[in-house]
Amino acid sequence: MRILVIEDEKKVAEMVSRGLRAERHAVDVAADGADAWDMVRAADYDLVVLDLGLPGMDGSELLRRIRSRNSHVPILVLTARDAMATKVESFEAGADDYLTKPFAFAELAVRIKALLRRGGADRGNVAKVADLEIDRLRQQVTRAGRRIDLTSKEYALLDYLASHPGRVLSRTMIVEHVWDQSFEGLTNIVDVYVRHLRAKVDDPFDLKLIRTVRGAGYRITDEDP
Amino acid sequence: MNFRSIRFRLAAWHTALFTAVFALLGLVLFATVQRYVEGTILETQARRARQIAETLLANEPRTGEPYVVREIEALYAPELGDRFIRVTRSDGSVLYLSGPPNDQSFDPASVPPAGTASAAEFTRSERTADGRSVLVAAFRASTGQGPRYLVEVGTSADPVERLAGHLLWTLALGVPLVIAVAAAGGYLLVRRALAPVEEIAGKAESITQHSLSERLPVPSAGDELAALSLALNRMITRLDDAFGNSKRFVADASHELRTPLTVIQGELENLSADPHLPADLRDRVGSTLEEVERLGKIVQKLFALSRLDAGEAQSEWVRVDLAGLASSTADQMLLLAEDRNIKVSREADGEVPVMGDRARLKQVLVNLIDNAVKYTPPGGSVRLKSYRDGSRAVVEVADTGVGIPAEALPHVFERFFRVDRDRSADGGAGLGLSIVRSICAAHGGRVEAESAPGAGSRFRVTLPLAPAASAPAKPSP
Repeated sequence: MRILVIEDEKKVAEMVSRGLRAERHAVDVAADGADAWDMVRAADYDLVVLDLGLPGMDGSELLRRIRSRNSHVPILVLTARDAMATKVESFEAGADDYLTKPFAFAELAVRIKALLRRGGADRGNVAKVADLEIDRLRQQVTRAGRRIDLTSKEYALLDYLASHPGRVLSRTMIVEHVWDQSFEGLTNIVDVYVRHLRAKVDDPFDLKLIRTVRGAGYRITDEDP
Repeated sequence: MNFRSIRFRLAAWHTALFTAVFALLGLVLFATVQRYVEGTILETQARRARQIAETLLANEPRTGEPYVVREIEALYAPELGDRFIRVTRSDGSVLYLSGPPNDQSFDPASVPPAGTASAAEFTRSERTADGRSVLVAAFRASTGQGPRYLVEVGTSADPVERLAGHLLWTLALGVPLVIAVAAAGGYLLVRRALAPVEEIAGKAESITQHSLSERLPVPSAGDELAALSLALNRMITRLDDAFGNSKRFVADASHELRTPLTVIQGELENLSADPHLPADLRDRVGSTLEEVERLGKIVQKLFALSRLDAGEAQSEWVRVDLAGLASSTADQMLLLAEDRNIKVSREADGEVPVMGDRARLKQVLVNLIDNAVKYTPPGGSVRLKSYRDGSRAVVEVADTGVGIPAEALPHVFERFFRVDRDRSADGGAGLGLSIVRSICAAHGGRVEAESAPGAGSRFRVTLPLAPAASAPAKPSP
């Protein structure tokens, strides 16, 4: 996929584009609004990552222009502003998603993946990781054919991990997805729920699927550790 | 009335001063007038006595006593002039005594004798047997062989007393009236002069950290109070600037820290994802990443706080049922409590609606419940209680935890305050409760804490109750 990264901070742009290239995307970088506007008009991008705090043309002005020209391209906004206020502002201006700095690259990658998939493949009705099966229609979880009873939060947590198999999900991402923004900063809640989830999903089995990635978060995978 | 007020004290001083001055003035006036009038009357009498002695009695050895008597009656006609004249021989027998004066003001016969005074000339004030006052001047007449007669001329003191009485009445009625008018006038004048003080004080009382853009009223008189008000306004401007600078600093600093933190976090992530990295290095990178993430959280909270304090953080303003919100928030955190074997109970007295930003209000409850669970030992309980109290909506979060020492209690809402280091083993920065306070303030409410160390704490959030609405409140998620 072809992605345009509009970011004036060189190191952030480098970090983001390097990460996205590692995920096999084609990445262009624009350092200011005018360049970005030229590039958007010249090429057809599958996704735009836009930093709102740009020199020259204001980020939200650029956002409006891109949106008026191409109403379909997914736009992910990066911002150094307050999360709650930005949410409303950027969605009003036509962003599809937003991320406040500082962010984990893993989170950016997950969000980009979700945006690129949108409109295409739906989430499957059944998610599978090794012998773990999640039936999304009946909200039932089985492992090795044995049914596992989960509370609704435990189910939401497992469902979220399983919809990004192999990927590291940060505690912040998990909190915002499974709970909501009001729980921001309350990251120990994730650890407690993961511990309870493991007791049901992993403890009775030899192969542990839910892995802790030090300093980053959690991921679900059947790879050898 | 406030007896310590400048208004009262000035008026009282002013009245006391007026009273003293007028009383003194009255006394001096009264005494002077009385003495002057009495002196004038006595002088006239003394002149007559001397005339009688020097013109008639001095020639008595030649003319004989009956002639003297006749001449006195003819020349001085004491009865007609409302006077009395008495001539006494040196042996005490009376040579001549005038009859009752025309105006019947006194009876000359009852004027007491002069007594044994030896002066050649003297005056006195006498009281007759029937209680009338008489002013008498006496003169000793000598006929060559030493004094042989005492001439006394007197007149009623009534005019003097009438004048004195009159004066006294005038003063007694006039002076209090003047003082009353002066006191009332003084009081009103002072009140008028000081009225702007109350206005300024009232306004100054209402200006808080969040309304530093307001200014005190400046009296138009251009007087000392106007100068005071202007000076205070300049001080408020300086405070406003100082607060603004500190807010801007926090906002700018947290803003500027975001980009480098993003780079550090991204690079460290990149590093830890490298499959060739030795396990111990991976662990160290992971540990660093944890701290970077914590730093990022602090920066975000500081930024959120500065925005809340600047009053620009509400992204929505809707009707929220606090009771329902408290209950659903507790549900979402239930496992946190169960994990520590803590019971969470909820008590609600019907719907408790407020107007506000739902996500922010929820953040308040999340922070308070999280704190309560964190500082309550296993086996304890956390109680949520929502109710209406008059025009206010109240949510209480009470726990049976370790409590907060009395000396720390006033500071728990301050930024970066921690009761003790051990309590923040989970890495909290001590910003949670300041965020709670700022959100409450941004919603026109407040949060209070009370605690009994060892027995538990209670946090009480008080917000203005939403006005009755026709539309039902949004259901809780």
